[in-house]
Amino acid sequence: MRRLLGVVVCAAFLLSWLGLAAAGGSVSAGSAGASGPPQTQAPAQAREQEIRIAGQFGLVYAPLMIAQKNKIFEKYGLKPIWREYGSGAAVREALVSGEVDVGFMGIPPFLIGWDKGCPWKAAIGFCVVPVGLVTNNPSIKSLKDFRPTDKIAVPSPGSVQHILLAMQAEKELGSATAFEKNIVAMPHPDAAAALLSKKGIVAHFTTPPYMFEELNQPGMHLVVDDVACFGLPFSFNVGVATTRFHDGNPVAYACFVMAISEAMAWINVNKKEAAALLAPEFGLTPEKTYLYLTWPGMDYTTAPYGLMGFADFMREAGYIKNVPRSIDDIAWENLVAFIGDRAGGPSPIQQLQFRR
Amino acid sequence: MVCSRRFFTKSARTIRQALFVAALAGLWELAARAGRLPALLFPPFSDVAVALAAETASGEILGRLTFSLAMVGAGLCLATLSAVIVTAASMSAQIVSEWVQALMAILHPLPGIAILPVVILWLGTGNTSIVAVIWFSAMWPLVANLHTGLRSVPATQIEVGRNLGLRGARLVAHVLIPGAFPHILSGMRVAWARAWQALVAAEMVFGASGGEGGLGWFIYKRRFFMEIPGVFAGMVVIVLVGIVVERVVFESVEARTVRRWGMTAE
Repeated sequence: MRRLLGVVVCAAFLLSWLGLAAAGGSVSAGSAGASGPPQTQAPAQAREQEIRIAGQFGLVYAPLMIAQKNKIFEKYGLKPIWREYGSGAAVREALVSGEVDVGFMGIPPFLIGWDKGCPWKAAIGFCVVPVGLVTNNPSIKSLKDFRPTDKIAVPSPGSVQHILLAMQAEKELGSATAFEKNIVAMPHPDAAAALLSKKGIVAHFTTPPYMFEELNQPGMHLVVDDVACFGLPFSFNVGVATTRFHDGNPVAYACFVMAISEAMAWINVNKKEAAALLAPEFGLTPEKTYLYLTWPGMDYTTAPYGLMGFADFMREAGYIKNVPRSIDDIAWENLVAFIGDRAGGPSPIQQLQFRR
Repeated sequence: MVCSRRFFTKSARTIRQALFVAALAGLWELAARAGRLPALLFPPFSDVAVALAAETASGEILGRLTFSLAMVGAGLCLATLSAVIVTAASMSAQIVSEWVQALMAILHPLPGIAILPVVILWLGTGNTSIVAVIWFSAMWPLVANLHTGLRSVPATQIEVGRNLGLRGARLVAHVLIPGAFPHILSGMRVAWARAWQALVAAEMVFGASGGEGGLGWFIYKRRFFMEIPGVFAGMVVIVLVGIVVERVVFESVEARTVRRWGMTAE
């Protein structure tokens, strides 16, 4: 009897906790994105609006590093809290769990989240960079030359690189999934080491600076590049803001867009200074950093490219189930306004959202 | 009669535990539906069950499971073989035994996954590397337990065996191994657990290998496509395999050996 009582008490306790949890959830959703978890709430005397930003590491994220070093967010009254993650999927999880307010990831990881119902949209374009498939096997001239046992490294399943490989596979071999069994997921530094030592992998779908370093080595060559796969340049990354942050803090959202734009503009105007500032971060000399920042194809721009092209392809190839009906399904107002909607047929900027 | 009563209590225990697990699943469902945690990252149990059913029906789970079991099997066979050789060598000479103990002190605490970067450099990324990591993870607990087990067989038992005329292989088979069996069994349990952990961890680091990949790769891939119920489904399969191996393999071996021989307190 007493034992039964104990069980009942335990169950009642757990149920009440769950009830409180549900109530707490709705309350915090109501008071909205300003705060997030209680421990990150700004003290009363601080007037700045806190913003938690998820980035990744690499040359692509140079504008974030510049914003950090030059305190650009602070200029707009934001108090940035920087978090670094290892993949687009990790950034996505941080956004969904409410750990961060905005994050940077490739269009495919962003769309996979959107497809699954993540409450977010793209806030800003973020860099067009050369991406390419580098091989250490001189006899591989096209995707047709890969044997079934040849392994191709990509950073992760569902990454930009994986989707580009699928696009090219569809073009050359008629099947987007032709290489599903050839891909291995490896972080860029490990894959670069494996490619150069010819251990395990024959090709690496990669980005700068790894792509540049690999192509500088003897015996390495490019099989295909991003423009061949996609047909046009595309945003390698986009800035994504959660609905909670966007709706709850319209001013902070606007400041975020402005701060990123200013960081991007500063790099474009001051490439030499940017290279000197960033060289220690990458462990490169300022000269080499400058060389990489100005490599043909590198374009630090907030313009979005290719948003719909990825969605269409990923839907056809079965990586996602839904496709945005229009750009405002997946982009916030500033991007919708930027892209425009030309009467009587798409404008050049609209056309740039699709593949060719 | 005794036998049936034991069966009865054992199945009653199983039922009680199953009920407890079912209650946990119910709580999980409630917690997920309460909506405090993001549903995208913490799906209700029913979604996981649906994903598990779908992945099983498509043959995906079976293929991954077969691959994983083959890897673990190969790694465990190699580990057992090398553990037997190492232990035999260390039983034959005091100096070898000291070396083995020193090696064990160095290598046993090292998790298999920690040697992964080196294994990738030496063997590349492939099935060989996964088997190597499993072999390494499982071998040291086996050696440690074989070693202690054989050393703990009382000298009087060995003397009795000798007096009965047992020598060499027969002495090992009839006295040493049965005497050391409780240790050997716990060594196998630890080896199995570590092999399985090493497999899943290695697959998540390597990604797929040899074109197929096992349950670790399955979970990894589902995570990157944000199919979180699928992630949990993969975990459920791993848990089920663990339970089946423990309940079916180890418990029946235990019942037929150490328990029948009266070597355990229970």
